[in-house]
Amino acid sequence: MASEALTAGKASPHGQRRLTQLPLWAGLTALAALVGLGLGSLGALLVQAPGVSPSSLWREPYLAGVLRFSLWQASLSTLVSLALAVPVAVALARRPRFVGRRLLLRAMELSLVVPSLIALFGLVAVHGRQGWAAPLWEALTGAPAGYLYGLSGIVLAHVFYNLPLAARLLLQELERAPAAHWRLAAQLGLQRQAIWRTLEWPALKRLLPRLAALIFTLCFTSFAIVMTLGGGPGSTTLEVALYQALKFDNDLALAALLALVQLTICLGLWALALSQGGAPSLVAGDDAMPLQGRWQRRDALGVSRFTDGCWLVALSLLLLPPLAAVVLAGLGGVTDLAAQSSLWPALGRSLVMAAGAGSLALMLGLALLAGRGWLAARGQRLTAGLMEGSGQLILVLPALVLGTGLFLLLRPRLGGGWQGYGLVVLVNGFMALPFVMQVLRGALLGLPVAQRRLADQLDIQGLARFRWLLWPRLRRPAALALAYAMTLSLGDFSVIALFGSPSAPTLPMLLYQQLGSYRWQTAAATALVLLATVAALFMCFAWLTRRLPRYPFACPPRPDFPQPPANDRPEP
Amino acid sequence: MNAKPICTALGVVAGLAAVSAMADEPRTLTVYTYDSFVAEWGPGPGIKEAFEARCGDCRLEFVALSGGVDLLQRLRLEGEGSAADLVLGLDMNLMAEARDLDLLAPHQANLSRLSLPVEWDDPVFLPYDWGRFAFVYDREALPNPPKSFAELLAAPDDLKVIIQDPRTSVTGLGLLLWMKRVYGDEAPAAWEKLNDHVLTVTGGWSQAYFSLFMNGEAPMVLSYSTSPAYHMAVENTDRYQAAEFAEGHYLQVETAAMLKTSEHPALARDFLDFVLTADFQRHIPLGNVMYPAIELGEERPAVFDRLIEPESFTFTPDEVQAHRREWIREWLNASTR
Amino acid sequence: MLCADHLSFHYTRCDPGETPDFAFTFHLAPGECLAVSGPSGAGKSTLLNLLAGFLTPSAGRLCWVGEAVGERFGEGQGESLPKGLNEEIGENLVEQPPWARGMTTVFQDHNLFEHLPVWINVGLGLAPDLKLSDAQRESILDGLAEVGLGGLHDRLPGELSGGQQQRVALLRSLLRETRVLLLDEPFSGLDRDNREALWGLVRRQQAAGVAVLLVSHDPEDVDALAQHRLQLLDGRLVTA
Repeated sequence: MASEALTAGKASPHGQRRLTQLPLWAGLTALAALVGLGLGSLGALLVQAPGVSPSSLWREPYLAGVLRFSLWQASLSTLVSLALAVPVAVALARRPRFVGRRLLLRAMELSLVVPSLIALFGLVAVHGRQGWAAPLWEALTGAPAGYLYGLSGIVLAHVFYNLPLAARLLLQELERAPAAHWRLAAQLGLQRQAIWRTLEWPALKRLLPRLAALIFTLCFTSFAIVMTLGGGPGSTTLEVALYQALKFDNDLALAALLALVQLTICLGLWALALSQGGAPSLVAGDDAMPLQGRWQRRDALGVSRFTDGCWLVALSLLLLPPLAAVVLAGLGGVTDLAAQSSLWPALGRSLVMAAGAGSLALMLGLALLAGRGWLAARGQRLTAGLMEGSGQLILVLPALVLGTGLFLLLRPRLGGGWQGYGLVVLVNGFMALPFVMQVLRGALLGLPVAQRRLADQLDIQGLARFRWLLWPRLRRPAALALAYAMTLSLGDFSVIALFGSPSAPTLPMLLYQQLGSYRWQTAAATALVLLATVAALFMCFAWLTRRLPRYPFACPPRPDFPQPPANDRPEP
Repeated sequence: MNAKPICTALGVVAGLAAVSAMADEPRTLTVYTYDSFVAEWGPGPGIKEAFEARCGDCRLEFVALSGGVDLLQRLRLEGEGSAADLVLGLDMNLMAEARDLDLLAPHQANLSRLSLPVEWDDPVFLPYDWGRFAFVYDREALPNPPKSFAELLAAPDDLKVIIQDPRTSVTGLGLLLWMKRVYGDEAPAAWEKLNDHVLTVTGGWSQAYFSLFMNGEAPMVLSYSTSPAYHMAVENTDRYQAAEFAEGHYLQVETAAMLKTSEHPALARDFLDFVLTADFQRHIPLGNVMYPAIELGEERPAVFDRLIEPESFTFTPDEVQAHRREWIREWLNASTR
Repeated sequence: MLCADHLSFHYTRCDPGETPDFAFTFHLAPGECLAVSGPSGAGKSTLLNLLAGFLTPSAGRLCWVGEAVGERFGEGQGESLPKGLNEEIGENLVEQPPWARGMTTVFQDHNLFEHLPVWINVGLGLAPDLKLSDAQRESILDGLAEVGLGGLHDRLPGELSGGQQQRVALLRSLLRETRVLLLDEPFSGLDRDNREALWGLVRRQQAAGVAVLLVSHDPEDVDALAQHRLQLLDGRLVTA
C-alpha cells in the first residue's frame, strides 16, 4: 500500500472492464439521492422564504447568543466526553477479562440509541434533586443536588450519551493493533509511558478527529436534552430557535438561515476531521480478538489495577443506574400492559418501519462506501472524500428542516395516511446513515492489500468478489449497522410527529400518547418494551452472525461421474 | 426472531394498504387532530364509533399530529390541497392565524348549547372542550401551596416550579399570556421574580410532567386545573391538586373547524353539529381530561365537582396574534438577564 | 517468450541508500526458470509487482514475442527491442489488468483468503465466480491429494502449516494454467521436506511450459530450479 501511495506513475488502468464501474454508479446514485433530497428540502424552504438576511445572525443579540451557547455547550460536551473516554478505553483494553465486561460493552453500544425521553427519565431519577445520587451529593457538598439543571446537566446528559460511544470506538481501535506489536511490548517489558507513546496514542490519534466531529454534531443538534435540562431560555440552542421559527412563527427565512448556519459549522468540522484521515468504525462485539493473544502487559500490574478499577466503576456508575431506573419504573407498569391492546400492533408497525429504514440506510451506506472505494482506488481523493462526507449531510441537517422541506417538495403526491409512513422510513433511513457508515467503513475499505492483489490476479470480480471476499467480512458489521439503523428508527419520534399518521401509532408515538394523557406508569412500561426491543435486536443480529460460515464442500458424485479428460489438466 | 411480530407487521401493512384503498370511497371524513386525542383510551375511538353509528354509511378517519401548532403548520403547508375535511384541536391562541389562512368555512352550528365560562360567537371555530391553566402541586411535598401569583412570587426561593417554554409548548404560551393578563406592563418584573422559582423550562408538557414532576423534582408544575381529575378518577389518589390563584386563571378553549375544500361539506357540518351533543362530549372529561363544552349533567364524572372553580379570562385571538412575538421577546429578555 | 523492455519505475520518495529509479530489461522463455538475486531493497519486489500489474510502470514495454525476436534481443545489455519488428511483437501487457496477464504470484505468505476454506481458495483459481462444474470439483480433490493434502479441503488456511498453505497456493496456480509464475520468496522459513515437495510442484509447471521468475535469497532454491540467473544492481538487471 505504502509503495502504491508513493508512486509517481498514474493509477492502474483497471477501470475499463465489465462490472467494475458498478460501485461508482451505485455510489453516485446514493449521492444524488442524498444530496438531492437533503439540499432539495433546504432549497424548498429557501424558495418559500421571502428573503434570507444572514446579517441578522450578528445584528440580533438573541440569535448571536443562541449561536454562542450552541457552540459552547457542544464544545464542552465533546471535550469532556473525549477526555474521559480515552482513559476509560485504555483501562478497558488493559483489562481484557473481568466479570461483566461483555455486559458493559453491550450497554455502551446501546447508550447511543436510547430515545432521549427515556434517557432523560433515567437521568432525572438518578441525578435529579430527589434522585438516587442526591443524598450522596448532599453528604459530600452540603448543598442540595441541583447540578442536573443548567449547563452542568446538559453536559452530564451529553456525556452519558457520548462517552460510552466514544470509549467503545476507541477500545476497538486499541484492540485492532496487531497482536505482534503487543507481543513485542510484552517481551520488551514496556512500561506505562512507553506503551502509551508507542502503541496506544498512535492508535487513538487516528480516530479522535472524526470522533470529535461526530460527537460535536450530535451535541450541537441536540434538542430534548437541552430543552429539558437547560434551566431556562438562556440555554437556547440553534435547534430550539429553529423549531420556534418554523413552527410557531412560520418564519421560513429564519429557519433556512439557521439550518444553513448549522450545516456550515458541522460540515466544516467534518471536512476538517475527514481530511485528518483515520477511520473509526464499529465492529460487532469482537470478544474473540483480545482473547486470542493473552499476552502479559507489564503495565497491567501494580497501581494501575486500582486506577483502572476506578475508571471502570465510574463508567458503570454513569451508564448503568439511569438504565436501571428506566427498567425499574417500567416493571412497575408491566401489569398495565396486558390491557394495552394497541401496544403489540404498535411494536409490529415500528419494527416494519425500522426494517425499512434500516435496509435503506444499509444499502445507501454500502453504495456510498463502494463508490468511495472505487474513486479512492483511482486516486480521486477529493471526490472520494466528498462521497463519504455526503453520508453525514443528513446528520447535520435539522430533522425539522428536512421533514418540512420534503413535505414541501413532495406535497402534491402526499395525501396524508400511509404515504406519510413511507416518508418517515425514508427520513429515518437517511438519519441512520452516518452511524451505518461508521460501522461499515472498516469492513468495506479494509480488504487487505495482499488479498486485493490476489483477487485481481485470480480475476475475481463483480458479484463473485462481493459474494466470496466482501460478504464474509461484511456480515457482522452489516448486521450491526442494521441493528443500529433499526433501533435509531425504532426510537425516533421527531420525524414521525412531523408527518402525522393515521390513528394507528408506532411505539414511540404510543409512548407520547400515554404521556400526553397522564398514563405515565403505562408509558414507563412502554419505554421498557422499547428498550427491551432495542436490546433484543442487537442480540438477535449478533447471534445470527456469531461465527464465520464454514462453506461445506459438496463432493462430486464420484462413482458415476467419469474422471475428467486429461486435456482438462495442465499436466505434463 | 419471533415470527409473531412479523405476521402482525405484515398484517399492519396490509391494513394500511386497505385503508388507503378505502380513501377513494365516498363519504369518508378525514379529521386532523393531535395524537393523545386518538389514543386507544382517548376520546377518539368512542367518538368515531358514535359518529359512524349516527350517520350510517360514513367513515371517520383521524390523522394524528403531535399538537395544535403542528395542525396549524400542516394546514399552512398543505393549503388548498389539504386532505383534511375537519381539524380538531386548534386552541384560541392559534385561531387568528388559522383564520388568516383563509382555508376554513363557517360551522353553522347552534351555539346555544355551549356552556363556557366566556361568551362565544365565533362563526368558524366551534369549541369542543376547555380548561384552565394552573399549577398542579404535590400535596405530600407542598401541604400549603401559594394561593395567588403574588404569594408564589413572594415565596422563599426553595419553592421550585417546573414550567414550559412559550416558544415550543401550548401550556408555556398559556403561562406567558396568563402572566401578561395578570400583570400587564409589570409582567417582565413579575417574570424576574418567578424565575427565581423556576427549576427548569422544558420544551413540552410531557417532559415537565412525566420526567420531572412525577419524579418528584419539584412540588409544582405548570399544567391544567383539570389534571387532578385524572389522578382522582383513574389513579384514585388525591395527592395531586391544582393551586387556585386569587388573580384568576387563563382559559384554554379547544376548537373544531371545517375546511372550505372539504369534499363532503354537509357531512362535515353534521360532524360539527355532533360535537355539541352528549354522544361526543361524554368522551371528553376523562378521555381528554378537560371540561366538556356543554352541560353533561349526570354524565359528568363526579371528580369534576372537586376541581377548583376560579375566575377565568383570556385575551382575544387577535390580541394574541398581534402581540405574541413581542411578549415572547419580553419574556426572553426578562429570563436571560 | 516474455520480453520486458526498459520497464521503468520511479519512487518519488526514498531513503538514502535506496534506489529510486528502475529500468528492467530481460526475456524469459516458456518452461524456463530465471532467478533474480540482489540485496534487500534492490527492487526485487518492485520488479515482480510491475510484472504482475500491481504497479504501473512509467515507461517501457512488456510483451510476448516470437522465438526469433527474443533471441536477437540482448539480455541484460539495456538494448531496446529492435524497431521495424513491431508486427511480430505482441500486445503490450502493461496495458492489461493483473487478471488478464496470465501471471500468478506466490508470496512468502498471505497467498490464501484467510476466511475461506482450502477448496474455495483453490476453486477461485479455476472459476473466479466459483461456479464449479463437477469435473472441476473433482480436479480440486485430486489435486489436493496429489500434493499430499487429501482430505483437508474443508480446513481454513489458519488450520494448515506454512508449507501446506504454500502447496495450496502452488496447486491453485497449477490448476489455473498460468503462463508465468512469479515466485517471491515462497520457500522462506520452510523445512527441507516441504521445500522439496514445492520444488516438485514448480518443476511440474515448468514442464508444462510455464515460465518461472524466482526471487529467493536461498542458493539452494536457485540451484534446484533456475536455468538462468540475473542480478539487480542500481535498478538494472545484469548478468550474475
